[in-house]
Amino acid sequence: MISESVSRLIEEFSKLPGIGKKTAERLTYHVLRVHEAEALQLAEAIRNIKLNVRYCEECYNLAETEQCAICRDSRRDRSRICVVEQPRDLISLENTGSYSGSYHVLLGRIAPLEGIGPEQLTIDRLIERVQQGGVKEVIMATNPTVEGDGTALHISNLLAEFPLEITRLARGVTAGSVLEFANREVLTDALTGRQKF
Amino acid sequence: MPLEPATALVLRTVDWSESSLVVTLFSREFGKIRGVARGGRRPKGPFESSLDVLSRCRIIFLRKSSDALDVLSEAKLIERFRPFERGLPALQAGYHIAELLDAWTDCYDPHPQLYDLTIATLAELRPQTPLGALLLQFELAALRLLGYFPALKECVHCGAVVQPQSRVSFSCLEGGVLCVSCRPGKRNVISLSNAAWQIMSQLPLLWDDDQTTTEKEASDARQRKLDVDGLRRLPTDGLGELRPVVSQYVNHLLGFMPRTQASLGK
Ligand SMILES: [Zn+2]
Ligand SMILES: [Zn+2]
Repeated sequence: MISESVSRLIEEFSKLPGIGKKTAERLTYHVLRVHEAEALQLAEAIRNIKLNVRYCEECYNLAETEQCAICRDSRRDRSRICVVEQPRDLISLENTGSYSGSYHVLLGRIAPLEGIGPEQLTIDRLIERVQQGGVKEVIMATNPTVEGDGTALHISNLLAEFPLEITRLARGVTAGSVLEFANREVLTDALTGRQKF
Repeated sequence: MPLEPATALVLRTVDWSESSLVVTLFSREFGKIRGVARGGRRPKGPFESSLDVLSRCRIIFLRKSSDALDVLSEAKLIERFRPFERGLPALQAGYHIAELLDAWTDCYDPHPQLYDLTIATLAELRPQTPLGALLLQFELAALRLLGYFPALKECVHCGAVVQPQSRVSFSCLEGGVLCVSCRPGKRNVISLSNAAWQIMSQLPLLWDDDQTTTEKEASDARQRKLDVDGLRRLPTDGLGELRPVVSQYVNHLLGFMPRTQASLGK
């Protein structure tokens, strides 16, 4: 029989997404073999993320202080707000390096069939930010799904009374591909979202 | 177990893991199907992000015995529901239709006519359509196809023909109208205007439910079978009166209030 502590760590690892029983065992035996200091660093990192990380009071990005690193950065353009569903979407957009405005993380999407309504998201705070003034453009970057589009539609209705531009991410043909092999839906998107030269 | 092909509408998707989905579909051939789509959340691969709510697709799936989930092996998109083109009220109506179908149908209990009615109705969910009337039409025609349509001509209690008067008594509990002599002493009876009563009888007839056999034949005939101009001719005050009555009747049949009901007509 394996010891209680070992089987407990295997059990904890196997709860992680994408980790099966065998991988959980490998990870556990790895932790057993490494030096105590190294293993405790992992424990400490897990502890810190739970104790220190919270949501930014401004945009609901992940933060370790009241405001996230992006909201604290004075070089970011506050007249533009890019609205995303989750912090991981924000990270993807940040990784492109081609956006210098601010963000707003909804922490979900409106999904009536799952019982998730607009009041469960951070939409009220977004409206507050717009009411404070200075916002010229809100970019809808929710996922291109029915629920993501529906959420963007709901928010754009709420923002219609404000003097600002509402835009959404383009979708359609991938650069470097050929039209011949694009499916009907992709081509429809590309035609609907066509832009001026 | 053989692989089965089907045409189906996606009613719900729930994230199952990083890359997989559990999908509830309403198929023309098999009725409701609930299955796992491994890799269904990835944009590439056998599903090509076609498994989105209200999308219509051709699927191939492996039917599992007993109560295990089926396994979807492939999905090809026929048509996606596009909220930006349809508008918010149409999207809310679409969600409501999906929720009702999920609640009303069972796995492997096919209703090809209900499927055709659904696809024809979804196609008309657009800003120009009288959405309130269309949704009532869908609900009443669906109740008729499912065998739950309320008795409107004869008293549900004694069978006597109900005479057209200024108002008619409707009972959700009994499932239809009550004549003057049966009305006393009944609980939860709604008083309907003659106009609303007439519309309730006419609405399901705007869907011509003659038999069609194959999906190919059906897809050619579907849109012709739904009389959208007929919806435009209905008096609006009678429709407004009917909305809460039909909701109450639907809730009574289901035994609960659908989540998407509150947002209707807002
Ligand atoms: Zn922030
Ligand atoms: Zn009677």
